[in-house]
Amino acid sequence: MPATSAPRVNSLALLILPSALLFALFFFLPIGLMAVMSVLTGNPVVMPNVGFTTKHYARMGNDSYYLEVIWTTIRIGLWTTLAALVIGYPLAHWMARIRSRTGHALLLMAVLAPMLTGIVVRTFAWMTLLSDKGVINQILTSFGLITKPLQLMYNETGIIIGLVHIYVPFMVLTLTGVIGRIDERLEQAAENLGASPWRAFMEVTLPLSLPGILAGSLLVFALAISAYVTPILLGGFQIMTLPILIYQQISANFNVGFAAALGMVLLAISLILVIAYNHMLGLVSGQRGLQ
Amino acid sequence: MTSVAPQSQPHLTAPIDLTAAPALVAKAPPRRLGRTLYLAANIAVLAFLLTPIAIVIVFALNPTPFIQFPPVGVSLRWFEKFFASRDFMHALLFSLEVAAMTTVAATVLGASAALAIARGNLPGSRLIVATMLSPLMLPAILTGLALFQSYVLLDVGRPLWGLVAGHTLVTIPYVVRTTLAVLHNFDVRLEEAAQNLGASPVRTFFEVTLPLVKPGVLAGAIFAFIVSFDQFPVSLFLVAPGSETMPITLFNYLKFDLDGTIGAASVVSILLAFMVVLALDRTVGLRSYVKL
Repeated sequence: MPATSAPRVNSLALLILPSALLFALFFFLPIGLMAVMSVLTGNPVVMPNVGFTTKHYARMGNDSYYLEVIWTTIRIGLWTTLAALVIGYPLAHWMARIRSRTGHALLLMAVLAPMLTGIVVRTFAWMTLLSDKGVINQILTSFGLITKPLQLMYNETGIIIGLVHIYVPFMVLTLTGVIGRIDERLEQAAENLGASPWRAFMEVTLPLSLPGILAGSLLVFALAISAYVTPILLGGFQIMTLPILIYQQISANFNVGFAAALGMVLLAISLILVIAYNHMLGLVSGQRGLQ
Repeated sequence: MTSVAPQSQPHLTAPIDLTAAPALVAKAPPRRLGRTLYLAANIAVLAFLLTPIAIVIVFALNPTPFIQFPPVGVSLRWFEKFFASRDFMHALLFSLEVAAMTTVAATVLGASAALAIARGNLPGSRLIVATMLSPLMLPAILTGLALFQSYVLLDVGRPLWGLVAGHTLVTIPYVVRTTLAVLHNFDVRLEEAAQNLGASPVRTFFEVTLPLVKPGVLAGAIFAFIVSFDQFPVSLFLVAPGSETMPITLFNYLKFDLDGTIGAASVVSILLAFMVVLALDRTVGLRSYVKL
């Protein structure tokens, strides 16, 4: 958009209206209703006199079980983010620096292929790899390396492996964009002045890619704490996270109010992350916001 | 510090030492070793990314009902079982139907919104963009929960339009982003030139703007289709019992069975996604649209 003085709103602006309507009716209104439901004693449609209550939030604060669930969710999110960063950085760096167009296209395909394979499918794949009679255990047993199968899933490790696989592409794509914008000549200058490639990387490239690291980490963390399929299947219904608990409140208990309160907690965490992410990306790309 | 300015040209004319890529190991090793470790680390990551997909394909073709490795033969029995299953076929068709409706809705609404944002001189356009992209980062499970609660409160049941609206909400960001990327990159003077030559704003729009943004809109539409086809958390809350989408049916099947049918179903999904990506790459090129 050219920054000419005082741009006038023109008729094309009207094209925003259908989307605005969709967001108002199917996004803001429902989330507003969720906020209201989280402080009501019951469903106002079927019950004649419902009142204001903070009992749903009090229940969360008073019962250490729910705090434990929230902490488990955050812990899984943190490990997933850390692993995705460690795994994703080298690949992002390669993608940003590779010279051959074909090479770049192949790497991009490799990163996008898992992304375009549904979450349920990928979780199934990890189940076949990690289960007691899964591929990894069968291979290790046939080589005589282990006698009893390793417990690779139905625990947090399994969940984290599955989540990392699902969200590492988001990390790679975010980092590639940022690393690609770092002038390669800065690294060369450092090396010409006698720095080893490792030192040039640590003192030039890594600090300059810090905004990308933060943006990618926030994105992966936000996605990981809201995951449902992977934690439930790779956790074998043993490990409770916030999204699993929310769905359970609806499907098993039909406790809409408590589900809403849990939803508001997840929303609050996510909103903080979204704002931080937007801010980070704003720092990276100047004026273009999230795009 | 003038050279610090971000520059997007990947190909520089300066003499470049190809071995200069940083090694991710402690303490300065000899360059060859560093380079080898760098490549090894990357190949390990690629293996991590691609192995699960390869494994699924192996198991779809594996003849035994249990997971067996190494495989003992090749068979198409699971594909036969998949295509003969009424539940799976129903789910596959329903998913395609929902994805098609979602794609149309998200593309029309998202592309219009992007045009309004880029050309309408709306005040607070940054906030509008952030809002329109927010369903990407806000947990989709919350979108599902909030919509489910609203439908319960309004006593409308679980209608198809309710599901499509939920899917549209989570796919619109892709269309907005790809369309905005194109609108930001193209030369506004082309539109001005058309108008200077006497074209009306409407004619300029249809003959200049629209053809130029088409690749972005198309890319967004394809993303919208794939995301809707794979969508899980929103569907979890909004599908009516008996008419479930493919991911939900797969999920329910996975809870009890782990035989090759699920592998076959996965391969069909993967092939569908790949065909779409190839089409996307052929028609518009991926590179400029996957910035996150």
